[in-house]
Amino acid sequence: MKPYILSRREFLAQLGLATAGTMLAACAAPAATGGAAPAAPAEAVADREIRPGVMRSETLILENPTGKVVPADDFNRWRPGIQSASTGLQQLGLDALWYIDPDAGIDGVWDNSLAAEKPIYNEDFTQMTVKLRQGIYWSDGVEFTADDLIYTVETQKNTQGMAYTGQFNKYVASIEKPDPYTVVFTLAEPNSRFHGLFTVRWGACFMMPKHIFEQQPDPVAFTFNPPVSLGPYVLKDFDPQGDWYLWERREDWDRTSLARYGMPAPKFAMYIAPGPSDKKVMAQTSGELDVIHDIAPEGMITLARTNPTSKGWFPSFPWAHPDPTLPSVIYNNEKPGLNSREVRWALTLAIDIVRVAMASYRGAATISAIHVPPTGLYPGYYFDPMQEWLNAFTLDLGDGASYAPYDPTAATRIAEAARASLGDLVPTDEAAVRKAIGYGWWKYDLEAAEKLMLKAGCTRDSAGKWLLPDGQPFKIALMAEGETRPIMNRGAAMVVENWVEFGIDATLDVRDNATRTKLVLLGEMDAEFGWTIETWGGHPDLFFFLESWHSSFYRPSGENAVGRNRMRWQHPDLDPIIEAIQRLEFDDPKGIELGLEFIKLAATEMPITPIMSYNVFSVCDETYWEGFPTSEDPYTNPVANWANTKYMYVKIRPKA
Amino acid sequence: MRKFVLSYLIPRIGQYLLVIFLGVTLTFVIPRLSPNDPVEQQVSQLMMSGSQVSPEAIEHMRVALTEMYGLAGSPWEQYWAFWGRLLRGDLGPSLSSFPTPVNQLLATAMPWTFGLLIPSIVISWVVGNILGAIASYYENNRVIQVVDVVSQAVRPIPYYIMALVLLAVFSYWIPIFPFSGAYPPGARVEFSLSFVLTVLYHSLLPLLSLVLIGIGGWFIGMKSLTSNIIAEDYVVYAENTGLPRRQILTQYIMRNAMLPQITGLALQLGMLFSGALIMEVVFGYPGMGTLTFQAVMANDYTLIMGITLLSIVGVATTVLILDLIYPLFDPRVRIQ
Repeated sequence: MKPYILSRREFLAQLGLATAGTMLAACAAPAATGGAAPAAPAEAVADREIRPGVMRSETLILENPTGKVVPADDFNRWRPGIQSASTGLQQLGLDALWYIDPDAGIDGVWDNSLAAEKPIYNEDFTQMTVKLRQGIYWSDGVEFTADDLIYTVETQKNTQGMAYTGQFNKYVASIEKPDPYTVVFTLAEPNSRFHGLFTVRWGACFMMPKHIFEQQPDPVAFTFNPPVSLGPYVLKDFDPQGDWYLWERREDWDRTSLARYGMPAPKFAMYIAPGPSDKKVMAQTSGELDVIHDIAPEGMITLARTNPTSKGWFPSFPWAHPDPTLPSVIYNNEKPGLNSREVRWALTLAIDIVRVAMASYRGAATISAIHVPPTGLYPGYYFDPMQEWLNAFTLDLGDGASYAPYDPTAATRIAEAARASLGDLVPTDEAAVRKAIGYGWWKYDLEAAEKLMLKAGCTRDSAGKWLLPDGQPFKIALMAEGETRPIMNRGAAMVVENWVEFGIDATLDVRDNATRTKLVLLGEMDAEFGWTIETWGGHPDLFFFLESWHSSFYRPSGENAVGRNRMRWQHPDLDPIIEAIQRLEFDDPKGIELGLEFIKLAATEMPITPIMSYNVFSVCDETYWEGFPTSEDPYTNPVANWANTKYMYVKIRPKA
Repeated sequence: MRKFVLSYLIPRIGQYLLVIFLGVTLTFVIPRLSPNDPVEQQVSQLMMSGSQVSPEAIEHMRVALTEMYGLAGSPWEQYWAFWGRLLRGDLGPSLSSFPTPVNQLLATAMPWTFGLLIPSIVISWVVGNILGAIASYYENNRVIQVVDVVSQAVRPIPYYIMALVLLAVFSYWIPIFPFSGAYPPGARVEFSLSFVLTVLYHSLLPLLSLVLIGIGGWFIGMKSLTSNIIAEDYVVYAENTGLPRRQILTQYIMRNAMLPQITGLALQLGMLFSGALIMEVVFGYPGMGTLTFQAVMANDYTLIMGITLLSIVGVATTVLILDLIYPLFDPRVRIQ
């Protein structure tokens, strides 16, 4: 009698057949379930089910730049450090009092979202009144009222460890509710920009649902899962591993603030973690990803050449959306050598902006000679009015002659350099070049830089290296991000190369983000390639970053910098400008005049060397949807993690 | 039996425990030699965001984070507390995904890595060894010669090149496989036939990349081992007696060549806990390799410690098991 039903060989043969059958079935499975097969580009237009009941043609798929979100089920946006902010939570689920668009805006740059009108201040800015919209409801049917706003502020004020605990403790003395749709803040000190805390520029203090949070014993630990929405979408499902989040348009979307602009077109929105740039190219080419948040310049160039439905912010080179941030060389103004205006100017003139732009963005950079980003409406607010002054601006090189350092042709030279590799993709029209690549920059002039160094008392050693006035070697370690932002790393590397060619003992000091942050805040650095200037983009008010440039925020090296004065710069003419801006109403046109004064002061003193805007290669694919924001129709920012992108949903439409 | 226990089993278990003790201690000490203070990192990041937080609030946060991260007290107190938590199976919270426990992150990632690496290791080991032995014994066979050349060509290719080429060819130019992930966006993780089939489909390309590289290694190793054995007297004698060649191959040659290969297999299986980092990053696969990559990028040293500990325990346990079962494979060990 055989001890087994099958012999060893029969068993192995049948096991092999079963395995092969399973593999074949698996290969065929996605077609059957409609879930996974990446289609060839030609087939991508065909509709399919992403999951039962969710059609591809009804779904906008966007990149969540956070990537995999861990923990995936934590939606408490009011706790610092939360990872799920960009999963659609702040774009589609939450809402704030006001929004300022970094571009032109859907109906102007300012939008009264949950507020019915702009903030109302008393004369000395010690009181701010907020009028709320009526008829706005949370997704569970509870009405949004003044109680939610008061709860949002008081809970964060009274609970340590929440996102706005510090600010509300500093600024809010008391809150009153004259009626269910009006809130009056009495401020602890005059503050004409208090509303900025509630105004979205990427993010802000979003409203908390009082009826949900008040039932929780610990509002910090609460995960707010599932989140109750105040925006037009509600979370339908999410991946427990944090790779995707699926949102569904609310049945009662017309009871949200966005309904003023119509019904959001996509029935569903899915925020996914597509992986690195090569994966994003593959995903968009195969119709799996409608909106790329950001991609390496090389990925953008590949999409521009191979996928005709992929659209950047600009129709061609440089494609990218310029963020209202200003990557700069941030000097520690307290370090020997760098505490000299002449030396900082010499280092600026030793930078070849064409090579920096080519190295970092392959030319697709939007450069800025002045200390505001060349983005949004800022060309009109600040760049155009500054051109005459910049052309007339001179430096004293110490040899008796006046030297004009401004080079109005810098953008054109970058375009020419980019044209060598990208050909006709690069515009030739001067206005198009100015709009895309920017205005002028500072001359690359080593001779002038040499004179400035000598004027500052520096000398060269026998090897041609620069020495400080006390004879010590002049060394600069330029700190930069590594793999997390290769654009910044490449730009910094080229600046170092420029400086080495000029005779500076410069090195690139790449650190992980945490270490870099710590050292930079403590002032334990010579210079950093990063940004400390960022603005509203659409609104000219510079108080957004200038507030903490006031000397009252100054901390010497060795102490943690407060706010944005990481360069440790103080100047007697700066405080009066900041104080004057603070005394103005937010929309007062005198703010621009004061802003221009600041720019002239900063250009003269050069505490940091402005380089360019942080260009984000947001790419929208028009296979399934069209009407995305572009430089020609800049109704909002296409960068997918900005809360302002909610306006995109009412402007896009399904591709016919 | 008593001799076996005293002179073989107990010393090896002692070695095993010592290795784990040293490994755990080093895992505790090394991150603390790093100049990075995770508490200060978190505080700095909050301040870098431009928030004007009061000094009192910062100090409060510093104390709270120190407690939460298990960094309160002297190094000795932390060390004993660390052992205490470890023996309870608690690896602490992840710093980058606070307050998610490291245990939870490992438990989520491990099944994906095991599900892909175990089949790939086993398939490449079985196929590579069989082909290697055949190539050595039937050296004039044309098909085997082709396999030999292909294996020699594939083996030196760096894995990431192979993975990227496969990805570009089969996901981009000829898009028959998905380019990322273990399942498509929108798919719910559940134990259903359709989900299992979808996962299998998503695993095929990474599996293929691992198997191709793996087979090359085992093939060359086995061929080299068996090429010495086929000249042994007992093989020549077996051939002269007229035994079938297949029997000589399997029972005389392969059996005697298997011992180093079994050791290699066991060590590879022991390394499972650290995942296949490059494969998982290239294919966007959600296993231990991806977790390791994220932990390193985020400076999340409680998570790095957790992964390292698992790896130490995995390798040490595998070596122990191997020591204990060696006599089953090789009677010579039993006699010694």
